[in-house]
Amino acid sequence: MKTLKEFKDFYNKSMHENLSLLEKRRKRILRFVLWSFLVAAIGILFTMASASLFFPKDDYYSLKVFVGVIISIIVAIVFFYVKGRDKTFYSDFKEQVIKAIVTFISPDLSYNPKNYIGLDSFQRSRIFLTNVDRYRGDDMVEGVVDKTKIWFSEINAEYKRVTTDSKGKTKTTWHRIFKGLFFIADFNKHFTTSTIVLPNRLGRSSFARFFQKMNISRREKHISLEDLEFNKYFVAYGEDQVEARYVLSTSLMKRITDFKKSHKNPVFISFVNSFLYVAIGYNKNLFEPSYFKKLNRFKIVQEYFEDIQLAVGIVEDLNLNNRIWTKQ
Amino acid sequence: MENSVVLLILAGVLLLFIILGYNRLVRRRNNAEKAFATIDAMAKKRYDLIPNLVATVQKYMEHERETLTEITELRAKAMSGNLSDNEKVDLNNKISRAMGGIMVAVENYPDLKANQNFLQLQGSLNEVEEQLSAARRAYNAAVTDYNNAVQMFPSNVFAMMFGFKTKLLFEISEKERQNVDVKSLFSI
Repeated sequence: MKTLKEFKDFYNKSMHENLSLLEKRRKRILRFVLWSFLVAAIGILFTMASASLFFPKDDYYSLKVFVGVIISIIVAIVFFYVKGRDKTFYSDFKEQVIKAIVTFISPDLSYNPKNYIGLDSFQRSRIFLTNVDRYRGDDMVEGVVDKTKIWFSEINAEYKRVTTDSKGKTKTTWHRIFKGLFFIADFNKHFTTSTIVLPNRLGRSSFARFFQKMNISRREKHISLEDLEFNKYFVAYGEDQVEARYVLSTSLMKRITDFKKSHKNPVFISFVNSFLYVAIGYNKNLFEPSYFKKLNRFKIVQEYFEDIQLAVGIVEDLNLNNRIWTKQ
Repeated sequence: MENSVVLLILAGVLLLFIILGYNRLVRRRNNAEKAFATIDAMAKKRYDLIPNLVATVQKYMEHERETLTEITELRAKAMSGNLSDNEKVDLNNKISRAMGGIMVAVENYPDLKANQNFLQLQGSLNEVEEQLSAARRAYNAAVTDYNNAVQMFPSNVFAMMFGFKTKLLFEISEKERQNVDVKSLFSI
């Protein structure tokens, strides 16, 4: 595991220069965005002024103004497109910043900005059972950490709700199922049934336990575990009472609790067919450049580093390299 | 007339209440018994590994002959059947202790530690131990559930009426609370 200090050295030595160049390009893009706004604003003001001065207020008055405004906006966009566009800024950022961090964390990891964990894997995890209508993602990282194969990417899964109002108009709204980091690892034990660990949103009252036990939506049954601190944060479901406990050994429960305690984001975990799935919810878009923040500051890059490190660190946090069972 | 209908309904509700309460207790007792049977199944998996372990290890271990004989005898006894639950638990505890002793002694035999057969066997043993521990924990969860029903109102009333008694929990040893990690015994 790389420390923040090691990363800082790496940043100073081999990233800072690239970032300064990227920062220049970002500023240029931002400058042209502002210029384009100015062009549009001048065009719109000009339209308004000339309209009130020269055009009679006939039936087509508002249409003429509208056309004038549209033309101004189009001119501004074309201006930006021809002069200010930086076609490769985004891909260069991914290559020079995110890829550099991934390879720094471990040379055994590979990064592909356009790829992502497939929908079939997402559904196989059995963490989210809602039907997915729209599924997107990017920033795929895969590779081997010591003895454990891992894959992770950013995922955004949504479902659609179509409502019809009293006038018969239909309206489609999109709702989030999951957005954040989705992580898969080859688990260190063999097992065949599924075990799911979800955030405990109800607490530990007997009322909460009643609902947790009822569990209408899943085929997995509630597993009552003996680790009280674990139960404070999580509720577990499994198809097999013994295998669920075989997977969730007392030490793993402790490690999962510690992992949860050190991160404020919601954590969902499942164990299906000898694979471990971890979904960590985020509200922000991960590993994306911000056009409105200075790029060549360590603080900005530190955030990318910590987000990637968090995922890669799961292997160590959950002790997945401990291969003392028959699975190698 | 109306009164008798009300009484009849009351009697029906009471009867239903008793039946449901009784069934709940039976279901929980069965769950606990099923969990105990699973421990048994896992213990059998361990018995199956013992001859293998003894065969692999005895070529190397000269000073642990006694322990090896003891473990073989314990296994034979466990396999013979006709044992009460308490005797089974007791035997399994003895086997655990003897196996633990062997695993510690392996430290003195570097050749054995490098033996591919042994390493594989060790993996299987770790697995069985972990499964056994999982089965015990599942049993304890099922028994706790059952004992709660036997002791808590209102189901304790039916438990008293039908003679349901609380069951004993497995003592989970401090070692078992940790992840079973035989390897850690070697790396000093």
